[in-house]
Amino acid sequence: MKVAPDGTSVVTEGITWSISPYDEYAIELALEHKDTAADTVVSVISVGGPRTKDALRQALAMGCDDATLVTGDGADALGPLGIANALKSAVDDLKPDLVLCGKQASDDDQGFVGPALAEALGWPHVAHVTRLDVRPGPASPVPGEPQSVEIWKETEGGHEVWKASGPAVLTVQKSAKDPRYPSLPGIMKAKKKEIPERPVAGVDDPVRIEIVKLEPPPGRGGGKIFKDGDTKAHAAELAKLLRDEAKVL
Amino acid sequence: MIPPTQGFGVAVLALVAVLGFGAFAYRAWKLYRYLRLGWNEDRTQQLGKRLKDELVIYLLQRKLLKRPYYVRGLAHAFIFWGFIVITLGTTDLLLSGLVGLRMPGAESALFVWAVDIFAALVLAAIILALARRLFFKPPRMHIALDGYIILGLIATLMVSLLIFENAGLAAGYLAIHQATPPLAQLVPLAWGGAAGAVFAAAWWVHVVTVLGFAAYLPQSKHLHIVTTLPNVFFRSQRPRGALRFVDKIEEQETFGAATLRDLSWKQHLDGYTCTECGRCSDNCPALATGKPLDPQKIVLDLRDLLLKEGDLLLKDGAATGTPPAHQLASKPEELWACTTCAACVEQCPVTIEHIDKIVDMRRYLVMQEAAAPPEAQRAMTNIERAGNPWGEAASTRGDWAQGLGVPTLAEKPDAEYLYFVGCAASFDRRNQRVAQALAKILQAAGTSFAILATEETCNGDPARRMGNEYLWQLQAQQNIDTFGRYTVRKIIASCPHCFNTIANEYPQLGGRYEVVHALQLVQDLIADRRITLGAGPVESVAYHDPCYLGRHNGIYEDPRAVLDAIDGVRRMEIEPHHRERGFCCGAGGGRMWMEEKVGQRVNHRRVEQILAAGDAKGERPAKVASGCPFCLIMLDEGVGAKGIQEELKPVDVLELVAARLQSEGVMRSNSSSA
Repeated sequence: MKVAPDGTSVVTEGITWSISPYDEYAIELALEHKDTAADTVVSVISVGGPRTKDALRQALAMGCDDATLVTGDGADALGPLGIANALKSAVDDLKPDLVLCGKQASDDDQGFVGPALAEALGWPHVAHVTRLDVRPGPASPVPGEPQSVEIWKETEGGHEVWKASGPAVLTVQKSAKDPRYPSLPGIMKAKKKEIPERPVAGVDDPVRIEIVKLEPPPGRGGGKIFKDGDTKAHAAELAKLLRDEAKVL
Repeated sequence: MIPPTQGFGVAVLALVAVLGFGAFAYRAWKLYRYLRLGWNEDRTQQLGKRLKDELVIYLLQRKLLKRPYYVRGLAHAFIFWGFIVITLGTTDLLLSGLVGLRMPGAESALFVWAVDIFAALVLAAIILALARRLFFKPPRMHIALDGYIILGLIATLMVSLLIFENAGLAAGYLAIHQATPPLAQLVPLAWGGAAGAVFAAAWWVHVVTVLGFAAYLPQSKHLHIVTTLPNVFFRSQRPRGALRFVDKIEEQETFGAATLRDLSWKQHLDGYTCTECGRCSDNCPALATGKPLDPQKIVLDLRDLLLKEGDLLLKDGAATGTPPAHQLASKPEELWACTTCAACVEQCPVTIEHIDKIVDMRRYLVMQEAAAPPEAQRAMTNIERAGNPWGEAASTRGDWAQGLGVPTLAEKPDAEYLYFVGCAASFDRRNQRVAQALAKILQAAGTSFAILATEETCNGDPARRMGNEYLWQLQAQQNIDTFGRYTVRKIIASCPHCFNTIANEYPQLGGRYEVVHALQLVQDLIADRRITLGAGPVESVAYHDPCYLGRHNGIYEDPRAVLDAIDGVRRMEIEPHHRERGFCCGAGGGRMWMEEKVGQRVNHRRVEQILAAGDAKGERPAKVASGCPFCLIMLDEGVGAKGIQEELKPVDVLELVAARLQSEGVMRSNSSSA
């Protein structure tokens, strides 16, 4: 990773773009669910330019049923609230039972879009999801209410198990298996699939975050190893260095 | 001899002949139809070479006469040559018995002597073979009733032949112009008045046994005596290291061997031709270290699947049957254990192509089912995204050369050679030192060369070996396009896998270059005195043959010549596992990126072999040198795991050369004047 000359962004030349790893886990979790409940429809959506369309094709190749892209001028430059609102417009059309997102993007690590999307939709949000379990039982009599799905959320030293009474947004930490490698028939089919586009124009983008400065972490110096002398002498030497050089005492 | 088929004897003989040959033809026709279920691979290229192989491998039995099977191979060769002669004799018998005609030359002394001598030799060999199976069974010989039946039938044929000759002589049935069978005379002619009856009996036993044998032949592995003829003729004439190309891959509907129809007719013929000798299994590093892979089993399982499902597939054109990778008894673990070292292919006397079958089934698992081991999938994803299986940042690919004055092709587009560094030497710390050593050598020699640095991407070899033909084609095409932009003609590779795929496989996509492995070039530089090597300490260095340099590409001598040119180096061979019998380090076939969960690690076994070879000579080597980055990594891990990294140091031959370069002229900038 190299900081660009303007000091506020990263050099993107020569970078190979790929789906953010947590988003891959989200796709995989959805597909694992589809493996057990074959009538599940997995739609994948995103916001951005042509590069994003390639990412959607990758998701289709993995086994997603359909893809939608919110695109247009400025799609790559939306702020986080704008992205959430753009996604909301696609979700409104598709009317899913669950929305899964990666818990954070691997480039900016903000972790914002998932919860923001939930807020925009007015839906509850469960974070750090690692597992979805379909519970057997009678199908819900209320139309639109999802089948009984248990949502496992990872916590310190354990799990919480949640149930959603209506549609919800989940931000995903991990899936049971590694994100699946697409089969060649999958890749070929995905190449031919149509990806409908929705316009990004008119999406509300009220807040922009401006990066003021971007710099790499300071280089690490070498460590010091005390070899000669006994423990008492080492301790005295260490205390002296901590006070005079590292200035932490 | 005058045959005892007067009167209705001819009719009986004719009937038996019809039954015998008829049974043969019926079964053979069925086998042929099964074989034609396979797709129509073109194996008619290079007819001249094919004829030569037929002569050398089939007729002269060349591949049987390999250590450590030399004596057994010779025994078989005599059985084979004997059988040719005796078959002529049998034809003569049947002709004379049925229509009273003799084969031209059948009465000559030469022919009669040949038949007798070979009959005796064959009988002796059969007795030895029987004794071996009964009393000295080799550990991996697949012994079945079939083998005993065949040996018994052949023994019966030889004994009955000698008896009817002997009795015939006693009864005076020798025709006037016929030479006297020599051996038959050795035993006293003591049949008395029964000579005639004994002659007739033995003659009939002989002929009926031959015809019974003909009927039995297509039910047994002895069919190889018929199928080896075409199997050798139609063997692959691709370079051994080159896998089969899949043309128009994006238009295929299925990938890899999804059904028996996706194996070619030649692959099915391989199954018919396996003699169950076990030489492939004997030399397989995976089997030797306890993995579930047995190359012989792979071949026989495919044959058995064809015999089991052939009728179903013939009846119903749309039926697909069991995917070969999930066949009768095999599981994918067997396929993933293969390092593609080609020991099996090297040893097989009847030119069966084991690796192609394993890779075709891997192609199905990877491309059709996306069912590769997870670590293998990660390596493939890394190749796609970062251009190297380690997933290291592509932008750092040229960093190993920092400060060495090595130009990139962009800086020096008229360089004579492209040094294709490869992923290992670019990113692996240990192997970066090997690339640096080669750069130093080339600069000292004044060789005009350049590297691609960040314009280089993985040659695709690991992906192809793992069965991801599609990814290999993408990677290869990328490199070929880059080479084209710079009109690259000559390429140096320090990695045998890079060397192999660029030299032998890139032509499948239209990329043709003069490719040389670094050690071949260095050998030339030494011979031409473009570099001089100074004196140095005496040390014992074992040479480890990398599979993709040795068995796959026949490069055994150049690396050894380089070692021998280094003053003080005492080259040690890792006997008996050296040259064509070299033992794999375990990293080939994409296995570098897969875990070994069963048995002993292949590289640990190799280190043990090196130590044992040293002990046998009374001196363990101080170093083990090879010419491959994978071998270096695996040997490093092996000596480290055994805690002997100070006693046995793995190195690359290039490092030994670079350390002895005479100091003037080192590290000067690339000069284009020779």
